[in-house]
Amino acid sequence: MTTTTDALNPAHPIDHGHGADHGHGGHDAHDHHHAPAGWRRWVYATNHKDIGTMYLWFAFSMFLLGGTFALGIRAELFSPGMQFWQPEFFNQLTTLHGVIMVFGAIMPAFTGLMNWMIPLMIGAPDMAFARMNNWSFWLLPPAAMLLIISLFVPGGGPGAGWTFYPPLSVQLGAGMDFGIFAIHLMGLSSIMGSINIVTTILNMRAPGMTLLKMPMFAWTSLVTAYLLIAVAPVLAGAVTMLLTDRHFGTHFFNAAGGGDPILFQHVFWFFGHPEVYIMALPAFGVVSQILPTFSRKPLFGYVSMVYAVCAIAILSFMVWGHHMFAVGFPATAQLFYMFMTMLIAVPTGVKVFNWISTMWQGSMTFETPMLFAIGFLCLFTIGGMSGLVLSLAPVDIQLHGTYYVVAHFHYVLVAGALFSLFGATYYWLPKWTGNMYSERMGKLHFWWSMIAFNITFFPMHFLGLAGMPRRIPDYALQFTTFNEVASVGAFLFGFAQILFLYNVIHTIRGGVGPSPQRPWDGATTLEWDVACPAPHHTWTEPPSLALVREGLIAQGLEESTHVEELK
Amino acid sequence: MTSLALQRQQGNRRTARRLLLAVLAMLGFSFAMVPFYNVFCRVMGIQQDRTAVADAPVAGWQQQVLFDSNVAAGVPMQIRALDARREGHAGGLMKARFELRNLADTPLGVRAVPSYAPLSAVRYVEKVQCFCFDAIHLAPREVREVTVVLVFKSDLPATLGPITLSYTVFGLDGGKQQTTATAQSIAKAAT
Ligand code: HEM
Ligand SMILES: [Cu+2]
Repeated sequence: MTTTTDALNPAHPIDHGHGADHGHGGHDAHDHHHAPAGWRRWVYATNHKDIGTMYLWFAFSMFLLGGTFALGIRAELFSPGMQFWQPEFFNQLTTLHGVIMVFGAIMPAFTGLMNWMIPLMIGAPDMAFARMNNWSFWLLPPAAMLLIISLFVPGGGPGAGWTFYPPLSVQLGAGMDFGIFAIHLMGLSSIMGSINIVTTILNMRAPGMTLLKMPMFAWTSLVTAYLLIAVAPVLAGAVTMLLTDRHFGTHFFNAAGGGDPILFQHVFWFFGHPEVYIMALPAFGVVSQILPTFSRKPLFGYVSMVYAVCAIAILSFMVWGHHMFAVGFPATAQLFYMFMTMLIAVPTGVKVFNWISTMWQGSMTFETPMLFAIGFLCLFTIGGMSGLVLSLAPVDIQLHGTYYVVAHFHYVLVAGALFSLFGATYYWLPKWTGNMYSERMGKLHFWWSMIAFNITFFPMHFLGLAGMPRRIPDYALQFTTFNEVASVGAFLFGFAQILFLYNVIHTIRGGVGPSPQRPWDGATTLEWDVACPAPHHTWTEPPSLALVREGLIAQGLEESTHVEELK
Repeated sequence: MTSLALQRQQGNRRTARRLLLAVLAMLGFSFAMVPFYNVFCRVMGIQQDRTAVADAPVAGWQQQVLFDSNVAAGVPMQIRALDARREGHAGGLMKARFELRNLADTPLGVRAVPSYAPLSAVRYVEKVQCFCFDAIHLAPREVREVTVVLVFKSDLPATLGPITLSYTVFGLDGGKQQTTATAQSIAKAAT
C-alpha cells in the first residue's frame, strides 16, 4: 500500500501547479468583485468558506460559554453542601450547559466544517444554495442571545435539563419560553443547513466521483444531514407542544387533562437518540480522513464503513427507549429496546476495527491531528463500552439518572465529537490559513486535554456506580473525594482550551511559517489539490477526471490502468 | 449563466423541494405520535389508570378522603377546604377545592406542602394535578380558589379506612417577606 502512495507522490508537484492554477489564475480578479470588505463580507456572506469560518468561530465562542457554565457546575460540586449558587440557578447552569454545548457548539462546529470542506473535497464551487446558507448561519446568534437573555428574566433561565421533561418544563417561568424559541431557531438553522449539504453532495460532485467513491467525511455528512432532516422537525414539534401546554391550554403532557408526561419523553428521544449520532457521525468522518493520511494507507474497508454508517443511522431510530428504561415499560418493550441497542454496537465495532486495521502496518507518524484521532479512538471506545453496559435494561434501572450516564456521554461527546473537531482543526488549519501551526504547542494541547479529560470524567463512572445522582447541587459526604478530583480535572481541561485558542490565533498570524499546498504527504483527497491558503473561490471549473482518478487510486478506490502506471 | 449551470440549478431545486417535503412530513409525524401513542397504549393494555381517568366512573370500594389545611406560623393568609370530606372509588377520580385568602396588603408568595395519613395511602392515591405543584403568587387581599385532582389506583384496598390529605402553606422566601408583611398588618391593626 505504501508503495502505491510513494509511487504517486512524484506526480504531486505536477498537480500542485494545476491546483494553484485553479486557485489563482483568473479567479483572483473574481474575488475582488464578489467579496465586499469589512462587516458586509460577513453579514452578506454567501461564500462557503466565509460562512464556514463564521460557523467555526461561533461554535468556539459557544464552547467557551458552555464551558464556563460547566466550570460553574464543577465549582459548586467541588465540596458537599451549598457554596456558590442557589439550587434553581444550579439547574439553569446544567440546562444551559447542555443546550449550548449540543446545539451551540458541537453541531454548528460540524456544520462549519462541512461548509468549509465538502465543496473542496467533492470538487464543487460552493454550496448549492448560497443565500440560504447565509440564513442558516445568521439564525444562530439570535438563538444564542435568547438563551443568554433567558438568565435575566424573572424566574431565570430554563432549568428543566437539556431534555426539557414536563411537568417541570410546563411549570417553569418565562425563561423556558426563551429556551423553546431558541430551540426553534436552531432547529430551523439545522434543517436549512442540512438541505444544503444533501443537495450539494448529491448533485455537485466532480466527474468520476460516484457516491461510493466520495471521501468518508462527505459520506458521514450526507447521512448526518439526512438524520437531521428527519428528526429536527420532531424536536420542533415536541417543544411546540410544550409551548401550547404552557400557554394555550392544551393537554399533550398534562395528566390532569388526559395527557401524559411520558409521551414527551417518547417524542423527545425519538429525536434525541438520532441526535447523539448527529454529533457522532461527522466525528467518524473526520477520523476516517485523518487516520489514513497519517498511516499512509487507504482507509481499510471503505465500503463496509459506508454500510456501517447507514446501519447506525437506521438503527438509531429504533432504540430511543433505552433512555426510558426506568419509566415502567412492559418487559417486552424493555427487551426490544435492549436488543436493538446492543445491535448498534455491531456496526460501531466494525468501524473501530476498520480504523485499527487502517493503522495496522502503516507508516504512522504522530502529528497533532493524528494524536487527536487516536485519542478519539481509545476514548470513544470506552464510551461505547459504558453505553453497552447501560443498554442492559436491568443494569440501567440501577444506573439511570446517575453520574455513570454523565461519564458515558462525555466519553462519546467530548472525547468523541470534540476531540475529532480539534483533530480536524489542526488537520485543515494549514489549508484554511496558509500557515503551519506549532507542532509543539499542538502536542501540548493534546496531552493536556487528554489527561485533564480523564481526570474529570473517569471518576464519574465510580460516582455513578456508587449511586450519586446527576443534576444535583449537593451530595452525600462519601462522594467528596471523587468530586474534588473531577472538579480539578475540569478546570485543567478548561485552561487547555485557552491554549487551543492561542494556537489557532498564532497560526492565523503566521504560525511557524507558510504551509506547503500539501502539508501531509499521505493526504490524497481533493482539498489538497487547491492552493494554500485556499483562495476565496475554488473549483469554479470542476477538477479534471484525471485529477479525481489520481486521488481515488491513492485512496484505493480505483485500480490504476496500465497507461497510468506507465506515466 | 451557462446551460449546464442552469440545469444544475434546476436539479438542486428539485432535490431541495423533496427534502422540504420530508421535513414537513416529519413535523406532521411528531404530532401524529400523540394519537398513535394513545391508541398504542390502549391496544397494549398499558397504563390502564390513564384511560380509566379519561372515562371516569368505575365501580369499586367507596373511599373516604378528608381534607385538612393549615398555615405555617407567620404567614398572613387563610386556607379553607371547600370540600372537607369527599368519597371516591378505586380506579376513579376525585377533585377537591380550596380557598386561599391573602390577608396582607402586600403581594404574597406561598407554596403548599401535602402530607397523607395514614402514610400507606401514598401508594394508592396519586395527585395528577395539584395547586401544591406550583409556587402561588397572591395579589394583596386576593382570594383564589385552587384545586387538587386525585386518582385512586385500582388495587386500592378496602381496609385502608378514611384517608386524610393535609396541606400546610409556607411562605416562599424563607418567611422573610411574610414577617415584614405580618408586621405591617399588625401595625395597621394597631392604628
Ligand atoms: C455503542 C453505542 C452506544 C450505546 C449502546 C449507548 C447506550 C446508551 C444508553 C442505554 C443510554 C441511557 C442511559 C440512561 O439515561 O440511563 C445512553 C445515554 C446517552 N448516550 Fe449513549 N450509547 C451509545 C453511544 C452513544 C454515542 C455515540 C453518543 C453521542 C455521541 C451517545 C450519547 C449519549 C447521551 C448524550 C446520553 C444521555 C442523554 C441524557 O440522558 O441526557 N451515546 N446511551
Ligand atoms: Cu440513545
